[in-house]
Amino acid sequence: MFEAFGSRVLAGVVSLSMLLFSSFKGNDPKMTNLGYRNSDSFLYVSGIMENAFDNDFPTIFASGTPISVIYDLEIRQGNRIVAKNSFRHTVNYNPATGIYELRKDGRGDLFRSDSVQDIMRHLSSFDFGIPHQPSWAQVQIRIEARLPVVHFDTMNKEVDLMVLWKYEKPSARIHADLRTPE
Amino acid sequence: MKNRFGMRTQIIALFLIVSIGGLVILNNVFQAKQENIHSALKGMELSSQLRDIRHYSSEDSLQAEALMRDFNEAKAVVNIALSDSRVMTSVVLLLVIVLSTTVFIIVICRLSKPLRELKHATDQIRQGNFSVHLPETGLPEMRELKSSFNMMSRELEAIQTRLLVAEKEMIWKDLSRILAHEIKNPLTPIQLAIQRLEERLETNPEAIKEILPESVSIITQEIENLRLLAQDFSNYAKVNQPNTEEFNPALSIREIVKSYCQDYQIELDLAEDLKIRFDKTHFYQVLTNILQNAIDASESGKPIMIRLYGEKSYAVLCIKDQGIGIERKDLQRIFEPYFSKKSKGTGLGLALVKKLCDANGSIVRVKSEIDKGTEFTVIIEGV
Repeated sequence: MFEAFGSRVLAGVVSLSMLLFSSFKGNDPKMTNLGYRNSDSFLYVSGIMENAFDNDFPTIFASGTPISVIYDLEIRQGNRIVAKNSFRHTVNYNPATGIYELRKDGRGDLFRSDSVQDIMRHLSSFDFGIPHQPSWAQVQIRIEARLPVVHFDTMNKEVDLMVLWKYEKPSARIHADLRTPE
Repeated sequence: MKNRFGMRTQIIALFLIVSIGGLVILNNVFQAKQENIHSALKGMELSSQLRDIRHYSSEDSLQAEALMRDFNEAKAVVNIALSDSRVMTSVVLLLVIVLSTTVFIIVICRLSKPLRELKHATDQIRQGNFSVHLPETGLPEMRELKSSFNMMSRELEAIQTRLLVAEKEMIWKDLSRILAHEIKNPLTPIQLAIQRLEERLETNPEAIKEILPESVSIITQEIENLRLLAQDFSNYAKVNQPNTEEFNPALSIREIVKSYCQDYQIELDLAEDLKIRFDKTHFYQVLTNILQNAIDASESGKPIMIRLYGEKSYAVLCIKDQGIGIERKDLQRIFEPYFSKKSKGTGLGLALVKKLCDANGSIVRVKSEIDKGTEFTVIIEGV
């Protein structure tokens, strides 16, 4: 709880200071269109990330180091967490071929393209499946995205990619009634 | 125009403008430079050129790939470092501004606190509370200042105590002298009258009837004088809280003056439509005391003028005689208790007038010219 509170305070301070004193644009990611599907004993959660991968991201992807976006999914029934899982979408670039590869956890999708715009478009949407327990009835689905700390081997340098999102973790929540399959 | 902002507010405003303004300008310059580096970095592209070069061996290809990877990784790291530095600069700047402003305000408040304490203590001294002492804490200069202030207040307290003792002693001395004098005056005629009666009783008891009425009259008169003296002292001592009421002063003045008009010449010029809020008994005492003073000072045939008129929201009562007048040096003391230039009188009459006017929130003034007369003015708030 304190960690979440701390990260919110940090994000608030960063936003305020950026607003007052910086010309740095960065990204202001937002999670929209959060939805769910309940079928085949699986609960599917989907959504779109807006304004999340502009500005510096093409340069970062082009470094050749695998860059991941992590989605933390949490399902609560009442006050109890009934399921929790993390999914990664990873972009890998091969400088020799100029091909970008996007691997999406959750559905196991794989995309390849030589266009970074194409990759970013695919990266901006997510769709995860999680096994549906029969005991789940009315639940709250919460999803939060974050960027990891990446180690650049050649430079031997570790950087926190959250700076690109100004330390703000986009999140969204939705109430779902799972008693009747949709 | 009085400056509405205190010194503390001005210092804080100056600090905010100068230091924070300077920091913000510095930050803007720094941010602009970083933006330039960032733009230049974006324009650096190596991969596509290296890919277009013909590689003659797999070793060449591997080297080119390694070169591209190194370059792109370095570019990404520098890019992130730049972004990080721009974010951190703004965060640090915000924290520095918040922190330094907070610290500055705390320091200024702590510096000005002893001054506020001094001001408060000075106000207390001004109101006559000399027992106020300040805790000798804080900065050395402030401790010295507070110590000097405490010394001053202790000295003032000691002086005040000595003055009070001296004043009390002087009052008692004056009072004793006046009382002795005023009591002695009627006692002498009484004693003489009794002695004459005794003498006649011894020498010619049958003829005592010849002097008896005159002696009894003297004794009665002097006893009456003693009673009046006691009443004067009693009146001065027991000025109660005024029981104010609204009334027409012109009617009261006519009522009071009626009994004097048979023996003395009094001219009235009274505005009839005025109303005042005053204790009616006090008003009677004020008017009769001033009037008696005017009568005592006037020669026969010279009328006393009583004038009442309205001035803005006030009623002004003037009582003017054409008597001998009062010397300038005596004018300042005329309302002091026991001060009198008359052969008869306790010196309490005008002191009582002043006390009653003060109690009713009115002002009494006097002006006088030698051999021309004296004028008393009472300014009373109207209704």
